[in-house]
Amino acid sequence: MDTKRTREPADAWHMTDDLHAEQGKGDPFAAAIRATRMSMIITDPRRQDNPIVFANDAFLRMTGYERHEVLGRNCRFLQGPKTEKAAVAQIRAAIADETDLSVDILNYRKDGSSFWNALYISPVSNDKGEVQFFFASQLDVSDRKRSEHRITADKERFEKAVKERTAELEAALEAQTTLLHEVDHRVKNNLQMISSLILMQSRTVSDENLKRSLGTMLERIEALSTVHRRLYQSKDVSKFDVSDFARDLISDLLTASGRSEINPTLELEPIVVPAEKATPVALMVNELVTNALKHAFKERPDGTKSGSIGIKMSQPDGHLNIEVSDDGVGMAGANGDASFGMRLIKSLARQLRADIEWRDAGPGTRVVISMPNGPQHKGNLS
Amino acid sequence: MTDSLKILIVEDEALLAMELESLVEDAGHSVVGWATSLAEARAMIDSTRADIAFVDIHLTDGPTGIDVAEYIDGRKNAMVVFMTANPKRIPDHFAGAIGVIAKPYTTNGVTSALRYLQEGVRRPPPTSERPAGFTLSPAFETVWAPGR
Ligand SMILES: Nc1ncnc2c1ncn2[C@@H]1O[C@H](COP(=O)(O)OP(=O)(O)OP(=O)(O)O)[C@@H](O)[C@H]1O
Ligand SMILES: [Mg+2]
Repeated sequence: MDTKRTREPADAWHMTDDLHAEQGKGDPFAAAIRATRMSMIITDPRRQDNPIVFANDAFLRMTGYERHEVLGRNCRFLQGPKTEKAAVAQIRAAIADETDLSVDILNYRKDGSSFWNALYISPVSNDKGEVQFFFASQLDVSDRKRSEHRITADKERFEKAVKERTAELEAALEAQTTLLHEVDHRVKNNLQMISSLILMQSRTVSDENLKRSLGTMLERIEALSTVHRRLYQSKDVSKFDVSDFARDLISDLLTASGRSEINPTLELEPIVVPAEKATPVALMVNELVTNALKHAFKERPDGTKSGSIGIKMSQPDGHLNIEVSDDGVGMAGANGDASFGMRLIKSLARQLRADIEWRDAGPGTRVVISMPNGPQHKGNLS
Repeated sequence: MTDSLKILIVEDEALLAMELESLVEDAGHSVVGWATSLAEARAMIDSTRADIAFVDIHLTDGPTGIDVAEYIDGRKNAMVVFMTANPKRIPDHFAGAIGVIAKPYTTNGVTSALRYLQEGVRRPPPTSERPAGFTLSPAFETVWAPGR
């Protein structure tokens, strides 16, 4: 190497030529490049078509060519039918711009088999900044590429599967929601039909007792209907606001003609019970309020009644208190154990594990109900 | 006494139509017709004079109650109150309707609604309290129940 340098010290072309000619064996760098397992070549851009002027053994092993088959040729013989045009264009641009480049490119061996080549190219310049040659190293990364492709394919397959499953679930949910609406719609219509049947029937009845009995039955069914309507009007079908129900009930019962002289006093905290308690609580309130309207106040000669009815609802810790009061005639010991209304109230109270008590309010009656209502249902409307 | 109301019933369930007719008559008003489909409703609207049409959404020819309301709104010769078990199907603008009575309604609820509507139609705005179970459309809310 020293001798060569003395001969034409600044001429890198000669140096590469020397490498190619297997001279300069004393140069440890040249020896290292020749012997390394990393495939390396050097091309000379100053010669026609930038030919390979040096190729190490690793390059020949990787590509399957003989040295004499590659020297003097442009590297494009490594390309093949599936080589990406974009990668080739990148290489061409790097050489034209004299910049370095790292790119994965699909190359072909002499036997026609392909491999993924992690190619690194960099220009080598002399002191004056003129590019003398290009240095290129190659690494067979077919394994990495294969696993990359597999990961991408797996990911795509997985994403597709997730998307399909999500669509299925959404469709199922929509079907469920539609079904729920349909059932809800039918339940409401059927409740309406039941009310209509009772009303129509009671019109054909002349017996006053029977008429009154059908009227009471209609009121009870309407209380159930109101529960159902309110439950399915709200955003959350699992909770029921008892206070709203009571407000509706009293306005519904009092606006009916002939009762305008009865004055309601409402002290209603918003109280939410779970849906399964909605019907028994609502029925119980309905019984107590209709009893007060029916029995507490004496009818005047003109058929009207006057007085006041109070409903109080409050929710001290974990408990639900309901109070229905009137300032009417009082119960006067009428415990009515045999009558249906009273039995219904007491059974519902048992179902709800509620304590219920009739107190003489002098004047009138005060019914006090106290029942457990889990704190989880307090102000938990969202 | 304010004039009683002429009511048109647009409802596919015969039983409900019958009951509604009795409730209307008990309250001192009259029923001028009963239609079960969009076509029947149109013909009746063109040939009879009604103050209020109670319109169900689901009729014998499908969910055409909204079309009935729009037809009436276009003719301006009656006012619509929806009566449906499916109030969520009513469009936001209510197709010009006054409001909705949600099914299942109570007999008292309908009686009070009739009184409220009578006041609203004859001498707006109504003076009695809006009955429970009766929801006003946004447009009527501003006129009949401002600030409530
Ligand atoms: N608030 C009240 N004021 C006065 N008396 C009442 C009151 N509540 C109930 N009563 C009396 O208790 C009796 C029993 O009431 P209950 O509800 O069991 O029967 P009902 O209302 O007569 O008939 P139904 O079985 O249809 O309810 C009534 O008949 C009435 O005499
Ligand atoms: Mg009773």
